Amino acid sequence: MTLSNSDTATELPGPLEGLRVLEIGDLGEVAGKLLADAGADVIRVEPPGGGRSRHVGPFVDDDPGQPSLLHASRNTSKRAVTLDVTQPAGVELWKRLVAMVDVVIDATTPTLLDGLGGGWEWVQTQPALADCVWCSITPFGRTGPRRDWAANDLVQLALGGPMMSNGYDDHGLPPIRPEGEHSIAVSNEYAVSGMLAALWMRSEGHPGQLVDVSIHEAVSATTEGAFPNWEYFGRLVQRQTGRHAAADPTAAWQYLAADGQYVCLINGGLPRGNSAWDGLLDWMDEHEATDDLRDDQYQGLLFRDPRSNPEGRRHVADTIGDFVQSLPAEEVYRRSQSLHFAWGIVRRPEENLDDPHWEDRGFFWEGELPGVDGTVRYPGAPYRFTRSPVRLRRRPPLVGEHNHEVFVGELGLTSAELRGLLESGVV
Amino acid sequence: MTDFSWIVAGPQATRILADLGADVVKVENESYLDSMRIGLRQDPQNPSLNRSGFHSNLSRNKRGITANLFHPKGREAVERLLAESDVVIENYSAGAFARMGFSWERLQEINPSLIYVSVSGFGHVGRDASYTTWGPSAQAISGATAMSGLADQPPAGWGFSYLDHSAGYYAAIAALMALHHRARTGEAQHVDMSQIECGMVVSAVPMLDYQVNGRSYERVGNRSRYPATAPHNTYPCAGDDRWIAIAVDDEAQWTALCEVLGLDKLLEDSRFADMPSRKTSEDALDALIGGVTCEREPFDLMIELQERGVPAGVCQRTDDKQERDPQLAERGFYPTAPHEELGEHRYEGLPMQFSGARWRMDRGAPLLGEHNHAVLTELLGYSDEEFASMLAELAI
Repeated sequence: MTLSNSDTATELPGPLEGLRVLEIGDLGEVAGKLLADAGADVIRVEPPGGGRSRHVGPFVDDDPGQPSLLHASRNTSKRAVTLDVTQPAGVELWKRLVAMVDVVIDATTPTLLDGLGGGWEWVQTQPALADCVWCSITPFGRTGPRRDWAANDLVQLALGGPMMSNGYDDHGLPPIRPEGEHSIAVSNEYAVSGMLAALWMRSEGHPGQLVDVSIHEAVSATTEGAFPNWEYFGRLVQRQTGRHAAADPTAAWQYLAADGQYVCLINGGLPRGNSAWDGLLDWMDEHEATDDLRDDQYQGLLFRDPRSNPEGRRHVADTIGDFVQSLPAEEVYRRSQSLHFAWGIVRRPEENLDDPHWEDRGFFWEGELPGVDGTVRYPGAPYRFTRSPVRLRRRPPLVGEHNHEVFVGELGLTSAELRGLLESGVV
Repeated sequence: MTDFSWIVAGPQATRILADLGADVVKVENESYLDSMRIGLRQDPQNPSLNRSGFHSNLSRNKRGITANLFHPKGREAVERLLAESDVVIENYSAGAFARMGFSWERLQEINPSLIYVSVSGFGHVGRDASYTTWGPSAQAISGATAMSGLADQPPAGWGFSYLDHSAGYYAAIAALMALHHRARTGEAQHVDMSQIECGMVVSAVPMLDYQVNGRSYERVGNRSRYPATAPHNTYPCAGDDRWIAIAVDDEAQWTALCEVLGLDKLLEDSRFADMPSRKTSEDALDALIGGVTCEREPFDLMIELQERGVPAGVCQRTDDKQERDPQLAERGFYPTAPHEELGEHRYEGLPMQFSGARWRMDRGAPLLGEHNHAVLTELLGYSDEEFASMLAELAI
């Protein structure tokens, strides 16, 4: 099958063309972005002055008066309006917006909008809104003894379990939270599946419904082997440097290459079959680094059964480890991949901007970013739809950029009414 | 759904769809077995392929058949399954599914309305498409590994294959979006996913920061660079390898933290007078806090801090989550389900609740070939006689 870059550069509609979405709160921006890049019309509702992400750095030119790159990364393809829903006139407008859309992403708190009379409780009393899908994204869900607890990304990755699997062999060093607000990412990814499932049910004749997503549960569901180790063996996995946490210690996977960059050797570098093994030995021969690895005892069963010959396995892994430390990281990465080893190179995020493979795939989306001359390349989507492209549809919106378009053009307010709302701080 | 997935990334995607109610039929054979069946087997002395709790957690609620693709009748059974399916998902190395006889062109011949979701390391398109990844190497290449760890230490990376899970989460989204598109237009399509790209999307801020401000990424451990808040870290507690995460976002939380920790004197200390000065004096601040948390029982401290509105959470172990987390318990996050060989066990739930539906946790993973008869006779229309001859000929 061949696909050219131009397939996704077209103006074709996205897979969610026609879907209308309202998004409010600070914990659901990624879900809104995933829908918006896929073609849904997503209107983000922010308090006058803008939501939290606009006030979190880094900023263009490191100037807090300029647009936030965190905001830019999560709000492509959306429209944005401002509305103070805590004012009576604000919640009335909010309710009119709700009536325009298929889906509401409510990432405020479990009780805020219900308390103001414009939440899921209100929707259920409105026969005209029977089709509304209401997706709540909150730190702990809308029910339960800890639903009102305070959390941020660090606290979520602590409570949900990933941190106790991440860190270093030396347990005097703390468990580690990877940067990137992964608790937002995984919960929002689950939320999108939940919303699309609710929309699927709606298309089958069911009414709309509440989808109550818990960030704590989304993180708790994302720990892999820690769960079966406890459930089936009563064992706790222990964190290790640069490789999987395990109930029993395993050999190193991560090495510092000769040029100061790290490489990641899956399974400690041990090959999964004999042809890869032969290729590796030939490569090591070129550098006179093979040592005694051509000895018969390291063939065959060594790779089939992890329990056989553990000392031999350790020796092979150590020898391979010494070898890769003598080479530049890029050579370790490219050569090992050509020999069908799934090894990796530890890149800083920005290093992928220069890898032409991602250009071949059209991964980066070129677009404007307010405050920046010219264009930037936005990291795109991890899926290439061949008939209904997911793509950058609009640059990230300015604060209240679509107030007139939405409130006057679509809700039917007069320009004078909108001016009054702006003056009274409702919009 | 026809499920040719294995290991973690693909099964994670079909796990979500099966939990949501899809009839997922997992297709296997000894030559393309889901190798998770031999990962963490309950009893290492028992060679059964049905005794991995790891596998059962990933493939629960699915049905399972076996099909020998080297036998014409086995291949025909798979093609009939594809003809009955809305979606096929696989996560082999790029090109492998086509070599098994299921190129996108062939899939379209079998069933023009079939959606095809492929998950591979680098995707099917691009100059390095032949490269392969496992979770950790994908994390390394994507930037996700470099973004994890202390500033003066090597990358800590991830202690598990995070990108297997998020690739699964995105593949479930892709399948549902493609179904949405098909419902609107009648068009099926191939969705080509890259596991590494799933990591690059969460590295977006440093990538933009580099382009716009010329800043190269540097690790910050558990501290918060954006916003520049402090204290924001993990602190040792009483007990063996016990830690608590504390993240102070405003002055009220700062006051509450100092009072709970008995560090009232810090409220008068000019080094910590406001957020910018606390950030500047973060090393000293973290040492002072760690010096008192190490005497405290972590869960009591967490509860005390939360009662004062301070974001705080113990770095929970799996036993803490499964046996002692009242929120997860109240929300029914670890339901139990039966399995013929593993018995009754708990499973990780789906992290959401629906007001008009229930996600299901009916049963563990299928035994190898468990649903051969049901799927072939009831879904695919084979007679009992045909089924018997296919069994005898090792077609299934």
